[in-house]
Amino acid sequence: MEDSIATATGHGQVQVYFSTNSPDIELPEEKRQLRVPTDVRRYGLSQILNSESMLDTSAPIPFDFLINGTFLRTTIDEYLVANGLSSETTLNLQYVRSLIPPLYEASF
Amino acid sequence: STHLDETTIELRSAIDAREQWTHYEAMTRDLSLSLTEQLRLILAPTLATKMRGDFRTGKRLNIKRIIPYIASQYKRDKIWMRRSVPSKRSYQIMLAVDDSKSMGESGSGSLAFETLVMVSKSLSMLEVGDICVLGFGDQVNIAHDFDTPFSSDAGPRIFQHFGFEQSRTDVTRLVRESIEIFRTARAKASSSPADLWQLQLIISDGVCDSSEHEPIRRLLREALEERIMMVFVIVDDVRNKKKGESVMDLKEARFVKDENTGQSNVKIERYLDTFPFQYYLIVSDVKELPGVLATLLRQWFTEVVDSSG
Ligand SMILES: [Mg+2]
Repeated sequence: MEDSIATATGHGQVQVYFSTNSPDIELPEEKRQLRVPTDVRRYGLSQILNSESMLDTSAPIPFDFLINGTFLRTTIDEYLVANGLSSETTLNLQYVRSLIPPLYEASF
Repeated sequence: STHLDETTIELRSAIDAREQWTHYEAMTRDLSLSLTEQLRLILAPTLATKMRGDFRTGKRLNIKRIIPYIASQYKRDKIWMRRSVPSKRSYQIMLAVDDSKSMGESGSGSLAFETLVMVSKSLSMLEVGDICVLGFGDQVNIAHDFDTPFSSDAGPRIFQHFGFEQSRTDVTRLVRESIEIFRTARAKASSSPADLWQLQLIISDGVCDSSEHEPIRRLLREALEERIMMVFVIVDDVRNKKKGESVMDLKEARFVKDENTGQSNVKIERYLDTFPFQYYLIVSDVKELPGVLATLLRQWFTEVVDSSG
């Protein structure tokens, strides 16, 4: 069974809903829903949010992501497995400006 | 069947399923009738040609018996022309309903049930051939097989198989296993293979991993070669969805490696842009279905069936 979960989400996608408490970096309503690869971590998600079709930032803003009040420190896939969730569920991702200096970004 | 052996899905209570079926049946009764009338004209064109040739115009008036047929609560169905002039064309029609969790979460489950009840009722009233119902998610379950007549208790029994709890939407597996089921059914069919038409309607929110789109496309070519028609009915209950959540607006992010710099760049694309099914329709209200489904099937018959004689 564990095996099938791993393959089920390994190269998969999950639907996420992006939200934030900071009005200046808020996405327009129609852009908040997105299917993303499940093998991304906060860095990949940050890249997605900064991209042209999303926030279209002039200089990339590093973001952190909270799911249910907890910072995402693994891949989404690992988060799903650890929390017994399937990729059929929409994940609510709350994003905040990261306090981690961009220099260390690669280690996440 | 073997598919049922490996599944862990528990059947829902018979009482609940019956109650639910009755509810959806009442809700879609008029629409079923409308669909039946439209499908009758599409699925039996060989019959119509035959009648014109054999009986001239007089016999064609029998189509008007549709009204007494409805008025008699479908009891007088044996009057239908198919009885007196045997049709050469017969059908095996499969309804595959998405049983994955996303169906329940997106609120599309009840729209899928409405669609299933309406279409299966129409097809059974038409008596054009055998009906099979599948549920799919991470696996494929047969809720009603081709060999079993679609009697009045068939519907509630089918409903027992659906709970929208499956943790994955494996459309590739569905298509692959459907082709196998169709092959077996064709081999067992009593009519000559040339007169047998196999049609599948997939009822789903339409969302699976887009990495599946290409493998599905390959399987669909296989199906086409074997004259299996697969129509994807996307139920998209926009009334219960947030802005941007409709399958029509749904987007996906991919990472594409730049050959020159070696960097990964984000590409955002419309989910439906790579959707592999050639014949698909999006339904946000079950009332639209009889019309759009009829149009699509008519188109298919013009393109495929009639051209192959
Ligand atoms: Mg699903």
